[in-house]
Formats: sequence, C-alpha cells, structure tokens
Amino acid sequence: MLNVLVVDDSMIMRRNIKKYLASLGHNIIGEAKDANEAFNFCKKNKPTLITMDISMPGMNGIDVIKKIKNINKYFSIIMITSYGKNEIVRSALNAGAQGYILKPVNTEKLYESIGKIYPEYLGLAEKDYIIKET
Amino acid sequence: MNEEHKKIHMHTKDVLVPIIKRVKTYLEDELGIDVFNTSDITCPDNIHIKKNTVMIGTTGSIKLIITLGFDDVLLNKLFEIFIGDDDIEDSDLEEVRNSVACEVTNTIIGNAIDNPIDNSDIYITPPVLIYEAKTLKKSKDSKFVFVTFITKYGEIELTAVGPKEQFENELDFKEI
Repeated sequence: MLNVLVVDDSMIMRRNIKKYLASLGHNIIGEAKDANEAFNFCKKNKPTLITMDISMPGMNGIDVIKKIKNINKYFSIIMITSYGKNEIVRSALNAGAQGYILKPVNTEKLYESIGKIYPEYLGLAEKDYIIKET
Repeated sequence: MNEEHKKIHMHTKDVLVPIIKRVKTYLEDELGIDVFNTSDITCPDNIHIKKNTVMIGTTGSIKLIITLGFDDVLLNKLFEIFIGDDDIEDSDLEEVRNSVACEVTNTIIGNAIDNPIDNSDIYITPPVLIYEAKTLKKSKDSKFVFVTFITKYGEIELTAVGPKEQFENELDFKEI
C-alpha cells in the first residue's frame, strides 16, 4: 500500500483521484489544493507517491517538482495533465517526475502509471482491483 | 491577404477543428452523452454567453480565448456522472459543480490543442468560470466563432475569440 498525497486545485479531481487510489488499495494521507499546501505537507509527512496537477493557478509545475524533490528526493511524483505533448511535460519528467497521466483520469490509468514506478504493486493492485470490480 | 496571414488563418482552423471534434468525442466516448446535433459554425457580431461558462486562453503562436457554456440540466448531468454515488456536503455542492464545468473544459481543450504551425508549444491557461450570463460584442479587430452542440440534457456552446487577422473571412468547417 502506497501513502499518497493528492495535489490538485480542482475539488472534483481531488475527490475522484482519492476515490480511484483507494479502490486500488492505496492509502491517501493528505490532499493539497496548491503548491504551498503541498510543500507544507511534504515537510511534515512522508508520502511515498504524489499525484499532482501540472497546471494550477500561480505556480510553475517544474519549480514545484524541484522544490518537492529538494524536500525529499525519494518522493515519487505522477503529473496529471490534459495536454501531454508540450515542453512542460518533458521538463517535468526531466525535473524528476516519474510519470504523467493524460486526462481524463480513471482507475486504469492510475493503476498502469503506478505499476510502471512500482512494479511490485502491479500484481497486488491488480488482484485487489479485480476483486473490487467483481 | 499575404501568405503569412493565409498560413495563420489555416492554422487557426486547424486548432479549432480538433477542439470541436473533441467536444463530441469526450461527451460520447468518455461520458456516454450522445451529441445528436451540432449547429453550423457561425461568426456572429455578438454572443450571449450562458451563466455556466468556462473560459480558457491559449498562448503561443496562436492566441485565442475559448469558452464552453453549459446548460444547467447538462451541467447537473455532468455533475452526476463525476460524483457517482458519493455524498456531497451541501456547503460543497456549488464548488464541486463549478469544478466539474472547469474540469470538463480543461480536459476537452487540453486533449485537443496542438500547434500546426511550427510544433512549438501552445499553452493553455487554467480555466476560469464566468458566473453570470453576459452579452459580448466583438470589437472591429476581433472575431467570434460560435458553435452549439445539442444533447438530450441541453446544449454546450463553444465560442472562440481571437484577433480578426487570425481567421479567414469564410470559415470552411463543413467537413465536421
């Protein structure tokens, strides 16, 4: 089970991503609606994984990744974006994000993206997911 | 019209056509809402935007303001799809409903946008919700492109606003 922080300025996205992650058996330890909330959370807690909207008002996604990685370089970050082709995504991956998900987000995309970073969870999550689906 | 303007005109169309197509495929394929009619694409002098309208800007070599306006019943249906069986606190209802409108718009435009000019990036601004219905009149240097998508839950209106020189006088969107 991964301890996950969900960062998104959209309330509906935070709700749904938390729901999808929970259905995959992961533990949501926090949520943040902007970069500052995310930084403060990361200073006091140790999420294994952070899902983060790449585009939120008043913040540059690349700087956010770098700052989070400065707090703890072992935090894994999956960026969420509606546009997967631009330089921001490439730079986000170069800055240390481990993956990205193209919106619309769903359980399957999270499952696959997490599985690429943590193959050991792929089988476990798959088992849990299949049980929950049936 | 010089060659450079012709090129930009064609490319503005190349930006808008995928967005128009993505509205339909997103509603139908991702959300299961049939779009049973799409209006002709027009270039009116005035537009009346709905009260649930989300605005997103594009920056880069093509500069547009794109809005999607949702009928109340349709937005309620989208809300229902996004929320599923979850209970929402009364105090959160309005914010969640607004964030559904913003999220749908962001996903549609973000998924569809691409740069046909030079492969440089087109960036999109975070979505902004316009709470009240308004009538906008174009200035002499701007142009509106307007199209309506009709579903059984109501309409979505898409408007693109940009500098006049970015558009052709007659927009040939008949192939959509």
